[in-house]
Amino acid sequence: MADRRSQGTSVCLTVLSIMAACQAVPVSDLLDRASQRSDTLHSISTSLTHHMDSHLPSGGRLLMPRPNMCHTSSLQTPNDKEQTLSVSEAELMSLARSLLQAWVHPLLILSQESRSLPAAAQGLVSTRLLELLDHASSLQDGLDVLSSKMGPASQYLSYLPYHGGPNLGEDNPSKLVNFHFLLSCFRRDSHKIDSFLKVLRCRAAKSRPESC
Amino acid sequence: MSYQALGHGRLGSRPCLSQHIQRAPHLSAIEQLKRHNQLLCPALSWLMVQQPFSYPVALSRQSWRYICGGGAISPSAKGKSLRVASSAGSSVSSPGAPARLWDRVTTTLTAPSSPHFTACVSRDQATFRCWWSEGSFHNLSQPGALRVFYRYKKNSPWKECPEYIHSNKECFFDSNHTTIWTSCCVQLRSHDNVTYFNTEHCFSVENIVRPDPPVAVNWTLLGVSPYGLHYDVIVTWDPPASADVSMGWMSLAYEVQYRRWNSSEWTVVEVQGGTQQTLYGLNVEEEYEVHIRSRMKAFTKFGGYSDSIFIQLANYPGRESIFPVALVLGILAVVILLMLLLFSQQQRLILLLLPPVPTPKIKGIDSEMLKKGKFEELNFILSGGGMGSSCTPLFYQDEPLVDCIELDPLDPADAGDKGGQSSEAQRLIGGRQASGRPTVGGLSHTLSFCDEDDDSVVGDPPDQDALLALLTTPSPSPTSALLLPGQPELKQGFPGGRDPDPSLAHDGAPRPQAWLNTDFYAQVSDVMPSGGVVLSPGQQLRAQESTAAREGQKEKEEEEAKKKKLGAQIEGEGKDPVGDEEPEQQFQLVVMAADPVGDGYTTDAMNWQTGVVNGYHTLPAESAGDVIAPSVAVKSAEDYQPSYILPDASPPPARYLPPVSDYTIVQEVDYQHSLILNPPPPQAPAHQCLPQHPVKPLTPMPVGYITPDLLGSITP
Repeated sequence: MADRRSQGTSVCLTVLSIMAACQAVPVSDLLDRASQRSDTLHSISTSLTHHMDSHLPSGGRLLMPRPNMCHTSSLQTPNDKEQTLSVSEAELMSLARSLLQAWVHPLLILSQESRSLPAAAQGLVSTRLLELLDHASSLQDGLDVLSSKMGPASQYLSYLPYHGGPNLGEDNPSKLVNFHFLLSCFRRDSHKIDSFLKVLRCRAAKSRPESC
Repeated sequence: MSYQALGHGRLGSRPCLSQHIQRAPHLSAIEQLKRHNQLLCPALSWLMVQQPFSYPVALSRQSWRYICGGGAISPSAKGKSLRVASSAGSSVSSPGAPARLWDRVTTTLTAPSSPHFTACVSRDQATFRCWWSEGSFHNLSQPGALRVFYRYKKNSPWKECPEYIHSNKECFFDSNHTTIWTSCCVQLRSHDNVTYFNTEHCFSVENIVRPDPPVAVNWTLLGVSPYGLHYDVIVTWDPPASADVSMGWMSLAYEVQYRRWNSSEWTVVEVQGGTQQTLYGLNVEEEYEVHIRSRMKAFTKFGGYSDSIFIQLANYPGRESIFPVALVLGILAVVILLMLLLFSQQQRLILLLLPPVPTPKIKGIDSEMLKKGKFEELNFILSGGGMGSSCTPLFYQDEPLVDCIELDPLDPADAGDKGGQSSEAQRLIGGRQASGRPTVGGLSHTLSFCDEDDDSVVGDPPDQDALLALLTTPSPSPTSALLLPGQPELKQGFPGGRDPDPSLAHDGAPRPQAWLNTDFYAQVSDVMPSGGVVLSPGQQLRAQESTAAREGQKEKEEEEAKKKKLGAQIEGEGKDPVGDEEPEQQFQLVVMAADPVGDGYTTDAMNWQTGVVNGYHTLPAESAGDVIAPSVAVKSAEDYQPSYILPDASPPPARYLPPVSDYTIVQEVDYQHSLILNPPPPQAPAHQCLPQHPVKPLTPMPVGYITPDLLGSITP
């Protein structure tokens, strides 16, 4: 992850230098690519959640913590359409980046723990988690570039620590339940990020409504 | 007897039940079951007729429903499958439901259900609605008997539904009361605070979104296949108005379904983005029904179907029929095949359609020569000057090659005096009779191919034949002249060895003249009534030509010698016996190879003439004495293989033959297919000189023509 970040950073620096020299890539284009990436992120997380659902033992859902126990629920985000549409672009970008940043570490833990899952559930979970990590990191780099164009307010990141620890649980059922819970939290947050970016894209592409 | 299951309970997992039962092992099975039923179905009233029973029925993988009921079960009902009426009104058969105490029993059970929510749906991710039902609690069906409460966070109080629509039993949550990305729970309460709550009634609003169907569905024709059988259309639509796509709040994916009018199966096409889809391969003149539904991207719940549109393409005006095109292609293919066949079998077809017309052609005769009108050369050739090689082989087919032909009269002469050379000379003279040339008449023109040292002299029969032919035709005169019966006498003269050469020479000189007078072509002056033909040979013309030709022969000999192919040995052969001695030879041997080419014959003819001239030239010169020093006319003796063999004029000049009458009787046919005219009788016995193949004595023919069978008899 670290070298990926360094790679991403170098890529970004290169891009920035090129942009400084040449005509910069328009923000709308960047937003377009960012929203596509977030769309992919959300799709993969949805499919992963559905996959875990089918392997969850009966009654496991009852034991699952409620969604407001996600570690990112402390972040104040707009909760409905009106609020979302009324929030400024910079703040939306900041929120998206904060959410994304909060999931880097948990995704790593999930990826590591996926190997110890029961074989029935493991299936394509590991592959998907690696994809998630990949997309998340690239989206993060892209959002960093975007935020540099959108003003200082977008640079603000909220700190949302994950308190779960490296182990998801002591025994297999609890591991499975916690795994499922984390994935559902991530799915919700990825939908948030996707919605924010799509709102931003449509706002930036007022002249081209077909891109919305 | 009938009974009822009075209710159903729901348990999260099955192990609880077994745990439960095991806890009371001291109870009898029935007692256990009773307790179990009471625990499972607390809110139900029982009709315990005889024995309670409960049937665990698995309706889904995650929930087990227990049908609680009681009653007597007739023994006849055992073994039948149990049918359960679920709360939704549909019957579910559960053949695998294990019966605790009884076997499966068929019975219709109506399961009473508590008030519950039937559905909660959001259309635009900003508002949502929930519908409820009182279940089997019909006393709660009045409006207001049941109330809806909701809450988002766990610790917040329950709030009542902001907007009721009692007619529909619906609760509408507007955007002010809608919070997305948050779990919402709803519950029903009756007036007496009986709460009917289910954990399944908690949800997040974004997960229950079912967008409205798209609007303004339309289609346009994209294209028609070349034969007008299929066509493609583009179906376009607009996103539903309720979904705020323009602001980016919702991103929709669509599903287009179409089917043929009379078909029951829909073809499904997923559309991820965009508001259009191309449908390919629709059949002309068939009606298609299309409808579309939408869902949120990355979510699974679809909205309702749009109104169906019907696509039909009337008979396309520009439609072409396949038939003419296929016909044209077929004809084209057939034509191409025929042409290929024609070109590949060109030669054979030409042979078939235009068979070659046989033109009159004689071997050795050049058509050019005929055109030029060189009559004497033609006559010479026809007389066998150059034809010997082609005609003679026919006579040799059955006869083996005989190297040596010895003449009996020669033998005593051979024995002594001259030695080998004379014998060789005689052999040269005696020649090739054995090879089957009786008609040659023992002329000395036959070369001795018997020399031991010279094997190549033997050569090929054709060559020998050519030589023989050459020898036998010392002049352009026809061979027939040589075959006159006078010849055996000539031959005899030779074995005698010392015939008066001058006489021969003398004879030879005029002889060719005389022979020149007769040629192969004879003009038919009259036809006898008996069938005979009166001939009048045209000799004047040839006589002049022959004299003229004698002049320039020497130089031609050189070049023509090159063309001839015969062993140098032959000429050497011819040389040796000829060269040193014997005046008898008197002829200059120039080996001349047989040239089957017509040109060669021409040149041969020339050579003949030259050779003859030479011979004639030299002979008189040499005839000073008895011995005529044979001058070797081997021009190209060592260099060229071919050289001329000029048979001496001796054989032909040996005898002066009476002039040929206008017509003569054909006695026999020469080896060269020449007709041997009637020889004078006294010479007949001289034929015996011919060693092995004496000429058969012929019966004089009364008529001047010969029938084919007689031809065969006179053939040597």
